[in-house]
Amino acid sequence: MPETVIALAGNPNAGKTTIFNALTGLHQHTGNWPGKTVEKKEGEVETRDGIFHLVDLPGAYSLSAYSPEEVIARAYILEERPRAVINVLDASNLERNLYLTAQLLELETPVVLALNMMDDLQKNGASINTAELSRLLGGIPVLTTTANKGKGIQELAQKARRAAEQPAPAFQLDYGSKVEREIAKLIAAFDEIQFDAGKYPRRWLAIKLLEGDEEILSRVKEMPAGENLLARAERGAAHLRDMLGEDVDLITADRRYGFINGVTRQTLRRPQMDRITLTDRVDDVVTHKWFGLPIFFLVMYVMFRLVIDVSAPFLDWTDSVINGLFAHSAHALLDLIATPAWLHSLLVDGIVSGVGGVLVFVPGLLVLYFFLALLEDSGYMSRAAFVMDRFMRVVGLHGKSFIPMILGFGCAVPAVYATRTIPSLRDRILTALLVPLMSCSARLPVYVVFGIAFFGAQAGTVIWAMYALGILIAMLSGMVFTRTLLKPDVSSAFVLELPPYRTPAFKSVLIHMWENAQEFIRKAGTTILAASVIMWLLLNLPWGVSSQRDSYFGKLSGALAPVFAPLGFGNWEAGGALVGGFMAKEIVVSSLSQIYVGGAPQSAQQPNLPSELKQTAQGFVNAALRSGRILISILPGVDVTDAQGAAEDTALSAALRQRYTPLSAAAFLVFVLLYVPCVATLGALRQEFGLSWALTSAIYQTAVAWLAALVVFQGGRLLGFS
Amino acid sequence: MTESIQLHLLAPGKRGVIAHIGGTGALRRRFVEMGIVKGETILSERSAPLGDPVEYLIKGYHLALRKEEAAHIQVIPEGEAHA
Repeated sequence: MPETVIALAGNPNAGKTTIFNALTGLHQHTGNWPGKTVEKKEGEVETRDGIFHLVDLPGAYSLSAYSPEEVIARAYILEERPRAVINVLDASNLERNLYLTAQLLELETPVVLALNMMDDLQKNGASINTAELSRLLGGIPVLTTTANKGKGIQELAQKARRAAEQPAPAFQLDYGSKVEREIAKLIAAFDEIQFDAGKYPRRWLAIKLLEGDEEILSRVKEMPAGENLLARAERGAAHLRDMLGEDVDLITADRRYGFINGVTRQTLRRPQMDRITLTDRVDDVVTHKWFGLPIFFLVMYVMFRLVIDVSAPFLDWTDSVINGLFAHSAHALLDLIATPAWLHSLLVDGIVSGVGGVLVFVPGLLVLYFFLALLEDSGYMSRAAFVMDRFMRVVGLHGKSFIPMILGFGCAVPAVYATRTIPSLRDRILTALLVPLMSCSARLPVYVVFGIAFFGAQAGTVIWAMYALGILIAMLSGMVFTRTLLKPDVSSAFVLELPPYRTPAFKSVLIHMWENAQEFIRKAGTTILAASVIMWLLLNLPWGVSSQRDSYFGKLSGALAPVFAPLGFGNWEAGGALVGGFMAKEIVVSSLSQIYVGGAPQSAQQPNLPSELKQTAQGFVNAALRSGRILISILPGVDVTDAQGAAEDTALSAALRQRYTPLSAAAFLVFVLLYVPCVATLGALRQEFGLSWALTSAIYQTAVAWLAALVVFQGGRLLGFS
Repeated sequence: MTESIQLHLLAPGKRGVIAHIGGTGALRRRFVEMGIVKGETILSERSAPLGDPVEYLIKGYHLALRKEEAAHIQVIPEGEAHA
């Protein structure tokens, strides 16, 4: 028996995700819609009447193919024909939410209405007559839910399961005699010219053709007798335009709202007086002329510290478990079963360290997803976009782009995922392309080592200049992309709903965290793992090489050296450090130090397992304590964290001074700041936007880095620096 | 006959009745979907700290529009409509 498929549709901010999580729990999985970068979630729902498969359609205000989300939602209902659609509505915003409902009903599919956030509505002293609402909408089931408290979920599942067995209710919206006449004429023409509407409901198709819906027009054009039909539709539309003095799509939208207006008047009881809601009062402060920006920056500061600093101790811990306990156990196990040396090395140095490279990101990502879900579900995210939009527009970006940009100073990987909160795909891509130009924390050690070695007391200024240069290049790049590859389209128009403030549903927030972290491990993880295996191959082939220099890695680095010669650092060591930095930017320092000073000797002593397990547990407790202390130190004026040890590395400094001049060091730093994002970032970009955008980012940044370093080095020489 | 003005010129705290919706096809459709239809009353609530965008109240919910986009919408300021 084929599975019963039911779709979940609703406006953004109607609580659709919370309902989805409440219905499916952990029986869900996340992926992408085929060929799209829009997230697709599916899950199984059990009811007393049997199981059904639930597909979460992207949040949309309408089904008129305005944004990628709307195209997907509409195509899914039309092409896949789910047995029923659960339509989630924000009950406190009934009128606008019913617009989508009207369009769903016109698709002649069984619909179940879930009036969500009923508590909000009742708090405001209003009520909805659900029986009357059901009657006016053709007898469809209408339920009330308060998803963040789990109310009404069971019943919703059951009603949906039953609706899937029923035929679609008869529902027809009256578009007025003039439009109706043209609709009837067009439907009659279907038979006359023997046009087979196939999957499309005939009345719906006639309406879309008159509205001039571009996507449908191009589909029909491909169908037999399609051209003939289009010509007739165009005549009908032109006739209506002449008579009514307005485009057909505006007339139909107007009639839909007219109908909805009638429905809400008969079903919604609102108190006479407009009362000042909690949301209004909070907004008076949060978007205040003077307080709005400081509050926003405070929220950003706290989030940044939480994502980057509080997760750092856990990050170190994860790292030590992977490279300590895990690597040593693998080591011991492999010795036991006497694997050949090359396989041994591949498994421990290549794969285990690769897995570690993936897992170190997980603690930070968990904190990030938690915070993002909190900001989004509470309603503050829209206010942040509202407050910052004017500022971000200078660079051709959306107000919501600010959060990823800030996160980029910590780590570009969570920052790329944070772009998911941006509504338009074009704005998302542009933001993600600029994020890696924010100097992430992994680049700081490089600046510190070179700064101390070459610029002494001026080191602080040099480091500061690197951050400023990154921001400057990002602004310029934004302007360039806005005029070339990523021209603003209508989806970038800032038409943003500011939903009422609400208490987030913690169960939903936790599921969101878990799902996204899993997806990162699966998707970006494979890229990182593959890269670390390739790196291992480069370092160890031809098999048995004794020095880095003779390996393929050394040869590749040597081959790259001439490319860097005009920039002032045309030696294989720099090339090698930069190739290593592609894995993770902080490796630039460790590989330079390995090459110039010699790697730290590996401890020959095999630690025993029990003591290491104990250390691992202790390490976790310590990480929790450290993270707690950092959390406290976020409070202004409290500093309980240890002072950072100065990164003095005299042996490395001396070696560097022999190879670099202050000018070539500066050029090297500029290059490190700007060149190709690390493999983890590229993995995230590929996961979110596909391979071609990841490559665009890699090539673009490397080109910019090369040019900027060239300008610094050659320009500096012309000015007489050395 | 009362004069209509562009929506972004409606002073904060003032209401207006939507008289005409301009802009390119997709943007106009977007407005309509969000409930910005002729004859509807819209209240200008407040502008963002940097002056743009502006928050409006329409059909009982809050909507932010950039001035550049609000300029496509013509409204008849309330009060003047009865003058």
